[in-house]
Amino acid sequence: MAGSEPVSFMQQMVSLEYKLRASPVAVDFARRLCAGTITGHACPECGLVYTPPSGFCSICVVPTNTREHEVEIADRGTVTAFTIVNPIQYRGQKEREVYAVASILLDGASGTIGQQRLGDVDLDRVRMGMRVEAVWLPEEKRKDSAAMGAGLASAIHHWRPVDEPDTPLEEFAEHII
Amino acid sequence: MRDVAIVSFSQLRGDPEGGVPEVLMLVPVVLEAIEKSGVPRKQIGFTCSGSCDYLTGAPFAFVQNLAATGAWPPISESHLEMDGAWALQEAWVRLQHGDIDTALVFASGRPSNSDLREVLCLQLDPYYLMPLWPDYISLAALQAQALLARTGHTEKDLAEIVVRARRAALSNPNAEISGEFTASELLQAPYVSSPLRAHDCPPISDGAAAMVLVAGDRARDLCERPAWIRGIDHRIDAQYPGVRDLSVSPSARLAGEHAGVGRGPVEVAELAAAFSHEELILREALGLGDEVLVNPSGGALCSNPMVATGLIRIGEAFRQIHEQGRERVLAHASSGPCLQQNLVCVLEAD
Ligand SMILES: [Zn+2]
Repeated sequence: MAGSEPVSFMQQMVSLEYKLRASPVAVDFARRLCAGTITGHACPECGLVYTPPSGFCSICVVPTNTREHEVEIADRGTVTAFTIVNPIQYRGQKEREVYAVASILLDGASGTIGQQRLGDVDLDRVRMGMRVEAVWLPEEKRKDSAAMGAGLASAIHHWRPVDEPDTPLEEFAEHII
Repeated sequence: MRDVAIVSFSQLRGDPEGGVPEVLMLVPVVLEAIEKSGVPRKQIGFTCSGSCDYLTGAPFAFVQNLAATGAWPPISESHLEMDGAWALQEAWVRLQHGDIDTALVFASGRPSNSDLREVLCLQLDPYYLMPLWPDYISLAALQAQALLARTGHTEKDLAEIVVRARRAALSNPNAEISGEFTASELLQAPYVSSPLRAHDCPPISDGAAAMVLVAGDRARDLCERPAWIRGIDHRIDAQYPGVRDLSVSPSARLAGEHAGVGRGPVEVAELAAAFSHEELILREALGLGDEVLVNPSGGALCSNPMVATGLIRIGEAFRQIHEQGRERVLAHASSGPCLQQNLVCVLEAD
């Protein structure tokens, strides 16, 4: 298009601020986590154990928000799926080295927790069925996540392998995600 | 058209403080609507919901809300980034297919997470209008100004609407604002954005609502006095407020015509008039005379859980038929700046 003017661009910066408040259930979970205990809620109807708990069973639609529904979950479990991450060095990227994240089925829970950092492990040895345990942050370093209901990473630094036989596939086949 | 009725309704009282996760607001209302309907949860044929991720502040936030329905084994469902009134319309269309008889509709909004005066700018034209960040109250004030200029209505007329709404809200346990006021005392307040004062603007609160629709004779079996959806229509005005005559609402008029409002007398109208002047525009567009009882619930001026407000208007209209013995009731929902989109629903008793 000869003679036409060049397209001009304008920048429009949009920023919105949200104030997200954690529910009492999330606050309770975070407080117990900072004290060194992973908790879950057991559904009184189907028996499924949710961790972190959401305050109700999303299958039965039954509230699980009282103390009687609370159960303690082990800080060890089974890797059901994993990803080896080669961090691309984009601006703002803090990761420099290759690392692994995993979905972990904790002993006593009915579903996996996702995006968990693995450590103290040869990445070639990471596998489905591998048994792992939590390496907790020192108590003074656990973020007081009670106010924001943050996830497990606010109190657990990473998960490391334990010297136990792998969990057979059929015991976690439903949890590969 | 297949006859479809509302057989149950449930709502959460608007919460101006907020802080309850959306799904936890929904669990009790969804459970109550289902229980009141008499339809077993697992037998519901279709589920449709309305919510707004921009309010929640997270992409795909609506997916979590589905947990309130116990969506396992998988259910047939759909979601709209709109007020729940539009979810009701989609459910009504779905029931017209004839292969299922029941539908669950629910809506939730959580405006307490953010500053609505900023967030609602994002629904505007992104090139020419949104970069100016005109907040929704200022836009509403432009519309109010245009209405007063054209019709000769006064700020006192607007205050009278608020007086009537707040008095009506005294008998509505879900209203957040209610009481006896006089126009002259309200008019002492300063402007928020001329000609609107705080009382002309809706309260902001988190909230949720749910209802169950049933087609055909099964609705009569389940519900003593179901409210039949005898007309429903949705129309949209131009997106850019600058190209419209803001003092009128052609889309509300068209929606009313196509929903068949004029085919019979209307006893009660529940209008999603969140600002006082919007009621005047909507009354004119829908041809509602003084004989029509408008917003006996107090309306959106007294409780306005964003995104659930329209569905609550339809729920209040259902109550008028189901509990108050009315024969023919109109419900209205709105979306967008300055009443840009309007949905009109006509409910009738058997
Ligand atoms: Zn359960």
